[in-house]
Amino acid sequence: MTTTASPPRAFTDIGTVVSLELAQRVRSTAWYVLLGVFAVLMLGITALLLPISSLRNQGGGYAFSTIVFFVLLLGTLITPALSGGSVNGDREAGTLATTQVTLVRTGALLLGKVLAAWVSSLALVVIALPFLAVAVIAGGLRIDTVLVSVLIVAIELGIVAGIGVGLSALITRTVFSVVVTYLIVAALSLGTLLVFALGGLALQTDQVVHSRSLQDTTSSDASKTPVCGPFEDTHQAVPRFDLVWWSLSANPYVVLADAVPGSFDKNGEPKDLFGGIASGARFAQIAPKPVVTYDDCSTASTNGPTPAQIMARTIPSWFAGLGLHLLLTAAILLGAWRALLTPTRKLPRGSRVA
Amino acid sequence: MPNEPGIAVEGVHRAFGPVRAVRDVTFTAAPGAVTGLIGPNGAGKTTLLLLLASLLQPDGGTIRILGHDPLTETAAVRSVMGWMPDTLGSWASLSCRASLAMSGRLYGLAKPAAAARATELLDLVGLPEFADRPTRVLSRGQKQKLSLARALVHRPRVLLLDEPASGLDPAARVELRRLLRGLAADGCTILVSSHDLAELEEVTDDAVFMAAGETVTVDRLQRAQSRVRDWRIRSLDEAALDAALAGRTGVRPERGDRLVPVGGDRAAADLLAELVRAGVPVAAFGPAVGELETTFLELERSGA
Repeated sequence: MTTTASPPRAFTDIGTVVSLELAQRVRSTAWYVLLGVFAVLMLGITALLLPISSLRNQGGGYAFSTIVFFVLLLGTLITPALSGGSVNGDREAGTLATTQVTLVRTGALLLGKVLAAWVSSLALVVIALPFLAVAVIAGGLRIDTVLVSVLIVAIELGIVAGIGVGLSALITRTVFSVVVTYLIVAALSLGTLLVFALGGLALQTDQVVHSRSLQDTTSSDASKTPVCGPFEDTHQAVPRFDLVWWSLSANPYVVLADAVPGSFDKNGEPKDLFGGIASGARFAQIAPKPVVTYDDCSTASTNGPTPAQIMARTIPSWFAGLGLHLLLTAAILLGAWRALLTPTRKLPRGSRVA
Repeated sequence: MPNEPGIAVEGVHRAFGPVRAVRDVTFTAAPGAVTGLIGPNGAGKTTLLLLLASLLQPDGGTIRILGHDPLTETAAVRSVMGWMPDTLGSWASLSCRASLAMSGRLYGLAKPAAAARATELLDLVGLPEFADRPTRVLSRGQKQKLSLARALVHRPRVLLLDEPASGLDPAARVELRRLLRGLAADGCTILVSSHDLAELEEVTDDAVFMAAGETVTVDRLQRAQSRVRDWRIRSLDEAALDAALAGRTGVRPERGDRLVPVGGDRAAADLLAELVRAGVPVAAFGPAVGELETTFLELERSGA
């Protein structure tokens, strides 16, 4: 079993599986309630954010980007529950084997299930669209920001859907496959931050602080020129986030922020959350200087680079992160496909075929 | 062979780790006949059906479904084979009609054809009044009917039915029997597994006995069938019957009848002739239990 299905047949099969999945698994009352709750949350967030943005005269950038991050957050929290029982749930209900003996091939079955889980998680994006439109109307947004951000969220939800469906074929118990899917989402969303923070702190290096200060003038005579003290060298340990910055690139929120073309104002400050998060993550790429100089007697500006300057000086990493996510999903789905091939050689531990 | 057998199995075995579920199975099932697959619980019947249904790979041996190998010609086998599992899964939130139509589409039927076939099958198995109700409201017997309808959705030429009668009421059993006879008359090859022997006796043309993962060989079967077993004799005159049976050992009364151990059909014919000659008014004379059941019990006892 494999190969040589004429494309139309494979496509109709995938379509049939998608409609079966949507009818059987997703289109339930609980699902509509969930969508309703999500819409109310969206309404609340938009109602809170927009006045703040417009008061500070920032346009819709922050409102828009916050809503997009919120959709990504809720989407990655809900999708595992939608997809994580897709195959082993069928096995438990006794409907998997009766589907496997039909003329639908394993690949079409698996892809149909992934597509169905993806389509249902995209319902969240669809519900968010009117609220995003309000933010866009508030102004100040570039069209490429809007398109790329929504596209990246959609792809990330598809990735979670694929991981969930794949694991549900590889793990016998529904509960465990859902939990493992959540763990993978958590590992990417929070685990990458932990690796970044702990790794940076563990890899500390010595930094020389070359500094001098104004000598204390006890007579408060303002006309006197200040007396500068001698330069002194002290040592301090600084974290090396530049050695672990790559771990952030696997974070879906950083992927989203980094992929969206940033908008910065004339002071080099970000005009939305995308630019803020992306420049923060990119800043970690810059290695600490071996020697820093603090001179209280100098009037030269000691300000660091602006976010816009950071973005210009560092390299983007979103495609590496997104590529890693896609690779992980593909590997899990390939394993799932092999596990589902029939006639089967091995049986999942502790389960019957039918 | 004049006709290609619907199912031909030769030396098939399959183990799950240390458990040898199917050790050595060889049999053929002819088109146009209902073949019973008989054996005690744990004999490997369900595993054998999974092997035939192209879901499990055998460790060795060959399987042919209308000449096709499930391993290498999986799609060809699936397009001619219908399988009704012993676990009755159904898509709980779909209606009976929708789930049958969906099965049809999974077999490649176009939407209108699948819908028409669904209606046809609901009538055939006797579930028309449940057509638009979700399958979760069905009773066990109704799920059984739906499961049978699902197995028939693509008009298979070979039917594999795992315990199709369990859970059916007597009227539904009669319906099932009629349905299977009709399909067999159309040239379908039907293999029915069951341990409900009375049911099988009435519907099967042929039987394959299985015990401890093996099909029972013909001579062992004949040995089991020629063993001494009880015949039930009823007479209008109990005293005359007792007198005629006086010389025999092991005669036991039961509800006015007499159970008499008889060694095979030849001996039974002789006994009946003897009774008639002795002027005993015989009202009933026959095996105390069905032939399949006797064979089944004999095979179990002989430690197969």
